[in-house]
Amino acid sequence: MDHTTPHEISGRRDETTTRNQPTMSSGDLHLDGAALILSLPEDVLALISAHLRPRDLLALSATSRRLRDALYGGGADKAWLAQCRRLLPSPPHLLAWRAAAGGSSLAVCRFLHSAAPLLGALWAHQNPELGNLVAAVPGFLSVVAARAIPQELSPRLRWAPVFELLADAHGRPAILFLHGHQPADLFPARLSSLQPHANVLFLEAQTDQDPIASSSHQFPRLAFGDRRRLLDSLVAACRVTLPPDLVAAPLFARSEDDLPVLAARREAMLRLHREAGGGMVCTTEVEGLLEAKKKGEPTPLPSNGGERIRLRRSLSAVAGYVRNSLRQMVTRSVSANSRAEYVDTKHLPLADFLHNGESVGLSLRGARVRLSTYRAWPSMHDNRFALYKLTLQAPMPGREYAGLWGGTFGWPPGRPEDECKPRKALFFLLLSYEVDSEGKLLLIATKVLEGTHYVVHPNGSSMFIARMCEPSTEAFPWQTDGESRNVDVERGFAGEGIANGYGFRYPGSKPGSLFVLQDGQLAFVWRETGAVLTLQRLNLEELMKKGERVPALQPVPNFAYLTKSYSNVFTGFPGSSASPRVLLDLASPLVAAPSHPLAPPGCGTAAQAWLLKPGFLPTSDLLKGHRAAYSNCSSSSVTKNGRGITATTCRMDDGLAVVVIAG
Amino acid sequence: MASAGSGDEKAATVTLISSDNEHFEVPEAVATLSQTIRHMIEDGCTDGGVPLPNVTGRILAKVLEYCNKHAAASDKDELEKFDKAFVDIDDQATLFDLVMAANYLDIRGMLDLTCQTIADMIKGKSVEEIRETFNIKNDFTPEEEAEIRRENQWAFDD
Repeated sequence: MDHTTPHEISGRRDETTTRNQPTMSSGDLHLDGAALILSLPEDVLALISAHLRPRDLLALSATSRRLRDALYGGGADKAWLAQCRRLLPSPPHLLAWRAAAGGSSLAVCRFLHSAAPLLGALWAHQNPELGNLVAAVPGFLSVVAARAIPQELSPRLRWAPVFELLADAHGRPAILFLHGHQPADLFPARLSSLQPHANVLFLEAQTDQDPIASSSHQFPRLAFGDRRRLLDSLVAACRVTLPPDLVAAPLFARSEDDLPVLAARREAMLRLHREAGGGMVCTTEVEGLLEAKKKGEPTPLPSNGGERIRLRRSLSAVAGYVRNSLRQMVTRSVSANSRAEYVDTKHLPLADFLHNGESVGLSLRGARVRLSTYRAWPSMHDNRFALYKLTLQAPMPGREYAGLWGGTFGWPPGRPEDECKPRKALFFLLLSYEVDSEGKLLLIATKVLEGTHYVVHPNGSSMFIARMCEPSTEAFPWQTDGESRNVDVERGFAGEGIANGYGFRYPGSKPGSLFVLQDGQLAFVWRETGAVLTLQRLNLEELMKKGERVPALQPVPNFAYLTKSYSNVFTGFPGSSASPRVLLDLASPLVAAPSHPLAPPGCGTAAQAWLLKPGFLPTSDLLKGHRAAYSNCSSSSVTKNGRGITATTCRMDDGLAVVVIAG
Repeated sequence: MASAGSGDEKAATVTLISSDNEHFEVPEAVATLSQTIRHMIEDGCTDGGVPLPNVTGRILAKVLEYCNKHAAASDKDELEKFDKAFVDIDDQATLFDLVMAANYLDIRGMLDLTCQTIADMIKGKSVEEIRETFNIKNDFTPEEEAEIRRENQWAFDD
């Protein structure tokens, strides 16, 4: 069986690999290897496929006509189904997806492969600082990006849709919609490109002359104001509406019962996208909208759209950190400083961009960009309509606590079904591991969602850091939990918890300990104050499935809310039914809880104040019936409105205007 | 119970008959690595031997080699070494015959092993390299090949 024959492989560069692999024997000179492969039953092909990637199956199918006929299509559907299962280990109703893709597992596989960079990651922007966490989860032959909004702990997680990416009949990720304020509204767009290891998602506009996967993207070269106006105009021009019977349909299957309505919704969305030409709008129409905007534009617009987040961690802020962190921070701040922070003055004129083609439309681009991170939080531009990837580390031996956790402050730990009023603020933390400059393993808890009404620390702050090699010397303060069960502490680690530092942007830290409790709960206890943060692992996808959909903002801010905000912009004024949109434009309500830094001592829940953007005046409707008193305003001026209610505008230390209504 | 076995001191055996009428007397403990044969023994239809019309004697001998080793040995490293040598065959046709036999006889470990081996022959290779490995004749025109390359591009982005 060792004869070398004319059909033996010869001239291969790598002889060693061929030696270990079977070749055709001399007795089978006329036997095409294709016949061997074709003789395999479909089930066996599927087993082999489970060890391969899509490209391998495709390469095999490209070798000859017979193999192409056999493997590229219905005959090898099980092999492609095996690929789908490999790409999405917990496949949500894959067979229903296959049916929606015309019975082709190959099309489903193509979609899963192309959309993979979105899944399994969390996406966020720096602003709003309370958190704006977006998770991309499988929908129905689609990927649904939904945002968990800042909220209190409750039985159902509240989330708002951001965008949806659907597969076309061939499995291409060609159908994209942004979500906007009304639940029936959809804003068609296109996916311009999605790189395999994309870490930023950009919301852009694309003319029809832009090659889809071109590297010469013109949109980023526009000035910020032009970008914003162009996106707003496109949103106004391309809006479509779902048929009324599908408006209340779910976006992902909560059970098999949802599948028929999801299939119907998909059909409707495909039709809407096709009829809207993919959301492409005639250039002349866009120019008209831009002109109209220019003339009728209300003033003033938030001016801090172009403000850059200062990344420099000054040495004075560092003083609160332990020595290790100090060293690490100084090295990081050097690299952060050296990153270019200039505003590019050589902008592309908007007219030039538009005249590149005959129509222009919204687009999403997923790119791999050089990002510096500090403690698991990427440094972000704040004048780009973009979402940045937060990497989810998978738990592994020695790093068991990696992943997404959620919890509340206080003991006993909050439970979703608790009926206490007020409900506890829900915190989401991303736990990840890093090795510090001395080679020691640290567990870092990055805050990604905060359920208070007014944020205490920036989005992405390290709520605590625990040193894995240093057991805690403190005892866990409580013996029993809320249900009078004994508390079983398995382990304790020493570390630091976040504390007030030098202003909002530079938090400090104070010593504390991380305890691992029975049933996998974590609890971080601040030593001085005795404050405790209890955490449980979260399955965000499951929570969203069982959760409650709430309305989205307008499409562009719903994607990335670029105006600086420290309160919850994702909810309207509680209890108000009248034009929440107006309120969102003008103000965000603030309820100063007694523990909040801004609340004067002794104030109860009766104290209320309004946060207005600079330059806005309160209307009488907003002020009706409110009573409050603050005593520590640094400056004040008095304005009166027609109803005779006195309003005092105070400037606070961090530059916000707080309106105090008296009488 | 066993067809050719006798007495309680000897372990029960079963006779397997290949497609070319070769007879193999095999201990049950070894033969039951095949789920197919195990079900037949449990259903009591192994008197007179078990005919296996889909497996030749040559291949059945190799299959039993695998089953003998895996029924007896328990050392992981030893089994790994054996498995590696087992699939180190010169002849592709034999390898595919073994896959088919493992599938027909439902021998999980051997099926996984042989499928992995075939997958390794394909994994990471270009179209041309796969043609060389399996001696597949290219019957596409250059235009057709270019079209196929375009159609498949989505899987080659990384």
